[in-house]
Amino acid sequence: MLSRVADAVFWMARYMERTDNILRVLRTNYIASQDEIQNFDWNLWIAGLGCTTYDETVKPGYRQALFDLLLQKENDTSVLTNIVRARENARSVQDYITKEVWQCMNDYYHLIREKHTEYLILHGDPVTAFDNLLRESTLFYGTVDITLNRGEGYTFLNMGKYIERMLRSLDFLELKIKELEQQGNELVQWKYLLYALSGYEFHTKYYRNTLSTDNVLHQVMLNVQFPHSVLYCMQQVERYFKRLDSVSVPEHFKEMEFLLGKAISNLRYGMPTAPTAVTIKPILQNTRVEIKSLSQKLAALYFGYS
Amino acid sequence: MSFASLLADYATSGHIWDEMCTQGEIRNHYKVFFDSLSQVSPADLLRKDELAKKLFMSQGVTFTVYSDGEGIEKIFPFDIIPRIITAAEWQQIEAGIKQRIKALNIFLKDIYHDQFIIKDGVLPAALIHSCPNFLREMVNVDVPFNIYTHISGIDLIRDSDGSFFVLEDNLRTPSGVSYMLENRNMTYRVFPGLVPHNNVRSVKDYPDLLFKNLLALSNRQKSQPTVVLLTPGIYNSAYFEHTTLARLMGVELVEGRDLVVDNAKVYMKTTAGLKQVDVIYRRVDDDFIDPLIFNPGSILGVSGLYYAYRKGNVAIVNAPGNGVADDKAVYPFVPDMIKYYLNEDPILKTVPTYAMDNPEHFTHVFGNIERMVIKKTNESGGYGMLMGSAATEQQVRDYKKEVQKNARQFIAQPIISLSSVPCFINNKIQPRHVDLRPFALYGPQGIEIVPGGLTRVALREGSLVVNSSQGGGSKDTWIVS
Repeated sequence: MLSRVADAVFWMARYMERTDNILRVLRTNYIASQDEIQNFDWNLWIAGLGCTTYDETVKPGYRQALFDLLLQKENDTSVLTNIVRARENARSVQDYITKEVWQCMNDYYHLIREKHTEYLILHGDPVTAFDNLLRESTLFYGTVDITLNRGEGYTFLNMGKYIERMLRSLDFLELKIKELEQQGNELVQWKYLLYALSGYEFHTKYYRNTLSTDNVLHQVMLNVQFPHSVLYCMQQVERYFKRLDSVSVPEHFKEMEFLLGKAISNLRYGMPTAPTAVTIKPILQNTRVEIKSLSQKLAALYFGYS
Repeated sequence: MSFASLLADYATSGHIWDEMCTQGEIRNHYKVFFDSLSQVSPADLLRKDELAKKLFMSQGVTFTVYSDGEGIEKIFPFDIIPRIITAAEWQQIEAGIKQRIKALNIFLKDIYHDQFIIKDGVLPAALIHSCPNFLREMVNVDVPFNIYTHISGIDLIRDSDGSFFVLEDNLRTPSGVSYMLENRNMTYRVFPGLVPHNNVRSVKDYPDLLFKNLLALSNRQKSQPTVVLLTPGIYNSAYFEHTTLARLMGVELVEGRDLVVDNAKVYMKTTAGLKQVDVIYRRVDDDFIDPLIFNPGSILGVSGLYYAYRKGNVAIVNAPGNGVADDKAVYPFVPDMIKYYLNEDPILKTVPTYAMDNPEHFTHVFGNIERMVIKKTNESGGYGMLMGSAATEQQVRDYKKEVQKNARQFIAQPIISLSSVPCFINNKIQPRHVDLRPFALYGPQGIEIVPGGLTRVALREGSLVVNSSQGGGSKDTWIVS
């Protein structure tokens, strides 16, 4: 397939995954700020999610914070901006993706720009706005699943999705550790992290105990039954990548295969046996560096069209 | 409000051909449709109108206007009432267009080779040599199967007696065919059951016919030649059309940066390395296809593409240089071409045209300006023209100065009152002026025209300008058997 098209499909998937993950974490944060966590520090999340309109001298209320993170056009990392970018990528490969996927993306774009969405965030019930948006997101995944052919494009789309997902899991984990260091209240913080990653119910079933740091870290980093764990995502990237074997330039394939294998081994065997919020930090950093170099290599070897 | 009251305002004028009504009666070919329509309440009609708008928006059948860095989505206005043409009328249109395209294609071959038409005195040499779209680079270039005009969009209008006139030949990169297809899809949605009930002929074959022709142009002995559609990119106003056609034909939609020329062969850059391209259906103008030969500032084309084309290693559709045949100053000579090349009488009429570099014509046109329209020979989209009937004296004076500066670049025609058809506007059914652009496909096996076309509507009351850039819309076109 055309390198440009592969690149656009990859980034479309990344922006969509980013959108979905950020919506889930913000929904959880909003609910936490209304209930268990008093004086929720929105600035930590505004800065942590890379909000380009962040002003540390201002302490925004929850509505303003949600508006900035969701709908602010000037914020280069807002959910709106993500959707616009996903759609621009989709538009440039409109002939490659199916009509249904394009339409789905388009509906999503029109929904987030609706006045009613803004009303819900600024004056109404923000959870309804989150739920409406997340429904579109789920629709997108379903539509991709049942309409897109399983060719190369699907492979790059999934690689983009899982690369983005592990970066988000790392991001949210790091931000939670920061929040913990500032505010304490370990159990509550871990609970909301798992809520945001849709992993709380799984945790109670799998670990069969009350929340503990090492179990939470194990789940988020290594549990291959948990779809937001870093190791699960990395294995998925490897699984999809292997499909490119027959259509790749052999040297390019080998180079990528090596990097992926190395990253998976480092993660799997490099974790301390009972990690804590402190001992995990260098692991998080190393993993992030490895994912980034993986992504850059993919761009250079497979998307290098210019 | 009843349906009868909806129609009460349908005021047609005696000197305009209305396609639905004649002397207060509904014409035969509109009757079946109108009987069905009269069972739809006016409120339902309004709902259907809203549904169509919503569907266009959600399906992304839009063009984007960029201002302040933000794209604003717009839809091309769509009128829900279809325009109906009889099979007999279509037969004449089809025969007329085929004849015309055949003659124009021979003309292109002739003008870029032996120029018999000039040598025999049918066409003045100066007319061709002063035409900015005559490409010297195309002289003596042999094109596959001697076909230049693979895809043409011929604009037709109807005079007050209902006869068809050709208004323009679009032989370069005519657009609008995706709207012909989408408009039909929309009609299925807003009027379920009516298309089969009226025996409307299908337009769905268009992408298959086009793809078959494109495949046939490949110069390589290969079972699956690589065909691509070259687009200027997502910011082009016709981008939706490019994606639609690429998807329907199952070909790659490429941009200039996806292609590279090596050793006079064109390749596309894929995830598995370079892959040779055999046929390019380009939607990029001549001037931009190769910066080494044409506009050096172009980033939409591919360096070396033209060289690969001349070597015969890649086919380009439509052929470069077709602009000389659809130049508005060449247009009045098309009937002579038909006579000269085919020894036939033209089936479709041509609008009388005055060359503004002819002093007699110049005087005549400005003496009767209220009945004239003056156009630039190489502009399209309704730009750069003056409708004498609607212009102020000052505008006429200014335009006259403009014409005097470079008279060759202007022609004038008497204003023809385009035919009118019913449209649903402001909750009423009202007549509006239309033209018709059928799309002809010329392949090695001959010329094929899908039964239909793009009907463009001047949505403003009394307006004769149908271009989408000037407030025009479109509607579905039914050829009923």
